[in-house]
Amino acid sequence: MPDKTERTSAVEVFKAIGRFFGDFGEAVAHGDLWTRLSLIWMGAGYARRKKYFRAVVMTLFEIFIIWFTIAFGIRYVSKFGTLGTVKPEKVFNMQTMKNEWNDYDNSFQILLFSLFTLVVWLAAAVIWFTNVKKAYALQKLAEEGKHISTFREDVRDYIGKKFHVTLLTLPVLGVVIFTAIPILLLILVAFTNYDQNHMPPTNLFSWVGLQNFISLFGGGSLGASFGYAFVRVLGWTLIWAFFATFTNYFGGILLALYLNSKKTRLPKLWRTLFVVTIAVPQFVSLLLVRNFFSNGGIVNTICARIGLTGLLRSAGLISTSYIPFLSAPGWAHVMIILINIWIGVPYQMLISTGVLMNLPADQLESARMDGASRFQVFRHITMPYLLFVTGPALVTDFVRNINNFNVIYLLTEGAYTTTNQVLANAQAKEVDLLVTWLFRLTQDYYNYKMASAIGIIVFLICAAFTLIAFNRMIRGDREGTYQ
Amino acid sequence: MKEKEAREIHKVKKLKENRTSTIAVHNIVIAVLAVIWLIPIIWLVCTSFSSYPGMNTSTFFPAEWSTANYAKLFHPDTVAQFPQWFKNTFIIACFTCVISTLFVLMVAYATSMMRFPMRKPLMNMAVILNLFPGMLSMIAIYFTLKFFNLTNSHIGLILVYSASSGLGYLIAKGFFDTVPRALCEAAKLDGCSEAGIFFRIILPVSKPIIVYTVISSFLGPWMDFVFAKMILNAGISEKYTVAVGLYKMLDRSLINNYFTQFCAGGVLVSIPISILFVIMQKFYVEGMTGGAVKG
Repeated sequence: MPDKTERTSAVEVFKAIGRFFGDFGEAVAHGDLWTRLSLIWMGAGYARRKKYFRAVVMTLFEIFIIWFTIAFGIRYVSKFGTLGTVKPEKVFNMQTMKNEWNDYDNSFQILLFSLFTLVVWLAAAVIWFTNVKKAYALQKLAEEGKHISTFREDVRDYIGKKFHVTLLTLPVLGVVIFTAIPILLLILVAFTNYDQNHMPPTNLFSWVGLQNFISLFGGGSLGASFGYAFVRVLGWTLIWAFFATFTNYFGGILLALYLNSKKTRLPKLWRTLFVVTIAVPQFVSLLLVRNFFSNGGIVNTICARIGLTGLLRSAGLISTSYIPFLSAPGWAHVMIILINIWIGVPYQMLISTGVLMNLPADQLESARMDGASRFQVFRHITMPYLLFVTGPALVTDFVRNINNFNVIYLLTEGAYTTTNQVLANAQAKEVDLLVTWLFRLTQDYYNYKMASAIGIIVFLICAAFTLIAFNRMIRGDREGTYQ
Repeated sequence: MKEKEAREIHKVKKLKENRTSTIAVHNIVIAVLAVIWLIPIIWLVCTSFSSYPGMNTSTFFPAEWSTANYAKLFHPDTVAQFPQWFKNTFIIACFTCVISTLFVLMVAYATSMMRFPMRKPLMNMAVILNLFPGMLSMIAIYFTLKFFNLTNSHIGLILVYSASSGLGYLIAKGFFDTVPRALCEAAKLDGCSEAGIFFRIILPVSKPIIVYTVISSFLGPWMDFVFAKMILNAGISEKYTVAVGLYKMLDRSLINNYFTQFCAGGVLVSIPISILFVIMQKFYVEGMTGGAVKG
């Protein structure tokens, strides 16, 4: 069930859009000649009210958009439907008497620039509509004999009333170019056959509809390998995210409680010792641990010396002369979760310590007075409070662990080779998360189409979990139990 | 009567809890845990002082101690160019730090202190965009940067780190939200513009959150591995950041000659990062609580 607040906000959005076009309609219906002329010449309304600077800016903007469309945009958007048809070829040129490249299409260029053009057009359309409305507003001001702001006042507005425009323009532009457009591009690529056999500029790629998603769910020619790998990798991703989140969460809380106990001597010193492990960057600590536990590494030497390796071999648990901590399925899965405890628990301990400091002391004291045992206090006071405060973070941590690239990649890349031929055909491994799999698909195998399709699935999973967390948080706020 | 009894029991329990033997057991357990947590770190430091270049697999402590690995780091060869990597990362981190701090503070101020029609829609859009893991947009950015020949360049990496940083505005906004409104209203009545309020009133009282933002955006490029690995993938050693460089030292063909140098490099980058990290933690807490006290 969607939350009530969500529904109202959706209604608000539609209302706002309706108002936007309503105002525009009114402007066209009641506007004078100059306002209507703004429909064609964007500077007209400003020019009439003697706002010449704005008139010039809007005119130049209009000219730029027309030039952009004719000289640049239309060339790519017209080929958007096919993503290009002309392959690069050497053609003999009669005039220069040489072999020259023909005017070939680059599918990726077409896709990227079409998308860019569409975004520019959308922005231009919004500005065009707003411009007409502004011209009408100016007309009304003039009719009512009110003061029309001068150029100087307009400029001052940008550090006054409209300061937010000054502040937000660059950051929003950055986000649009480096996050929004790439995400749209990724979504588009998921519906093409962009892979190493269709690499621009030497080859073209084209739209394939839902083909990549069908392969991912076990259909089509690639379904046998990719469908199987997808289920395996997705399964491990969820198992990993579950264990990584809960072991760290409860491990952190237990460690924090233990360190906070009155019996601990020098709690600050101990806390600092634990924090040292998270202050070392992950690419150092994880790469180190990978070699610590490698097949010929120091831990294996020690295990062999104390006879543990022999013991395990005679028990039939291993068939090699070493313990395959990070190189055999099962062993690697368990080790990864254990190493993640090592990496993550101190961090969770810091957070929990902060929360525990604010634990309602009166409740604790009165519970003790009533003769509650320590476990009862923990079960009925400490834990509910911690869950209330850090519960929403639990879900965000879960989502973060679904995308926990560092731990998996740094621990297993180069150390773990799969023996499962079907997985290997899909370039996957037993220990892969969806994100490490798609990273390898793009970086080593240029299989962009499957990587994009996996990316969209990852997004859907993350979005679903985050929405659940969001709803919980809103409900939690309303209760206000601890306020 | 009953209450008194309960109090007695409570006292006895407390006495029992504080007996020296239980305290000793308690602290020994903590010590054992701390040792487990520190073993890899100790191994890192010890190995960095080993005179043997490869991984020491027979004993925990190196057989012969030397500081040669640190000396070698500062005499770069074709593979290990630690000073160059350090410089690269430092430059990238400085640019990223300036751009992202500005972006974060700008967005936080606009969304916290000002009211305008697009405020809510923009914030909702930010929530949705934040749902996409950075990895995913990264792949599409990679296609695009490759197309414009910006992969394997520091400009590309700086853009990747800082261009979308405006999305991380929530913590700073939370701080600005706690700055008392009366302060701004008074300034407005005195004829102060919004920009004036931003620079003369809000920024001076926001020191903790500014320091936090500066340090965390400076640390980003130092701690990051995946984006650097993706953008600097051509294998040109002199362009690497510290993270990619150290990672490449452990390639199967190099590990036997460079493992202890890797450890030395790891120790060297960890020291400044740890210091900044601890400072950041302190300011993070201050940033979270400082405003509330003032309000």
